[in-house]
Amino acid sequence: MPIIVNLDVMMAKRKMSLNELSEKVELTLSNLSILKTGKAKAIRFSTLEAICVALECQPGDILEYANDEDIRTTNR
Amino acid sequence: MSQKNNFVFKGLHIVAWIIFVGLCIEAGGLIVNFIFSLYKPEFVQNLYQKLDLSQMYNLNKWVFFSMYSFILFISILKACLFYVVIMLLNKLNLSKPFDTYVAGQIKNISYYTLSIGLISYLGQQTAKSIQHYGFEIDMLNQFWADSQAYILMAAVIYVIATIFSRGVEIQNENDLTV
Repeated sequence: MPIIVNLDVMMAKRKMSLNELSEKVELTLSNLSILKTGKAKAIRFSTLEAICVALECQPGDILEYANDEDIRTTNR
Repeated sequence: MSQKNNFVFKGLHIVAWIIFVGLCIEAGGLIVNFIFSLYKPEFVQNLYQKLDLSQMYNLNKWVFFSMYSFILFISILKACLFYVVIMLLNKLNLSKPFDTYVAGQIKNISYYTLSIGLISYLGQQTAKSIQHYGFEIDMLNQFWADSQAYILMAAVIYVIATIFSRGVEIQNENDLTV
């Protein structure tokens, strides 16, 4: 999937656990886990806004685009 | 889900079971008659539901067995069809109906319905063609009266199955939307 979710990176920077974040954004642990593990197919703007407010960051800090060629080059 | 919808759904479930049991009895009776007719030809004049195919049997045994095979296949397929319907109604969850299993079962129902329609039509045309050779086929018409209706129903159910599959995809996407 070309869209990479760097939620765990931001959570580590802000020293926030998944439980804390789920309470702040009012999202269930399972949904957050789906997002964190990159299994999500889509994200609502309201959810993205809530995460950015909770982690004090920009959407670009959480979402990253990398096409398949870039991923293969990085893995080498 | 409203109380009325639940009541209708339960009613449909019961009706499906009743029809399934009836079709099993019919298919079972026809199978037993078929086995008996192989070993005791005198049973041919008093088959299931007082069907008398003795004239056909005496004229040509192969014609009798092929026509009877059509009837047998149709009755077995009808019983299988309603078995699939009952399995579907057992697993169907009205609060979250768009399930891969349900979509698959609806497709199976369309395939069974199409098979019944095609075999009924084939049987009907075969019966019409052998009528020219002096065979009495009037008593067989009851087994393939609605062949075209089954084919039409199969097409409609297939469209519904396709729409349902798309519903499943949309539901899965919705489940993975945070």
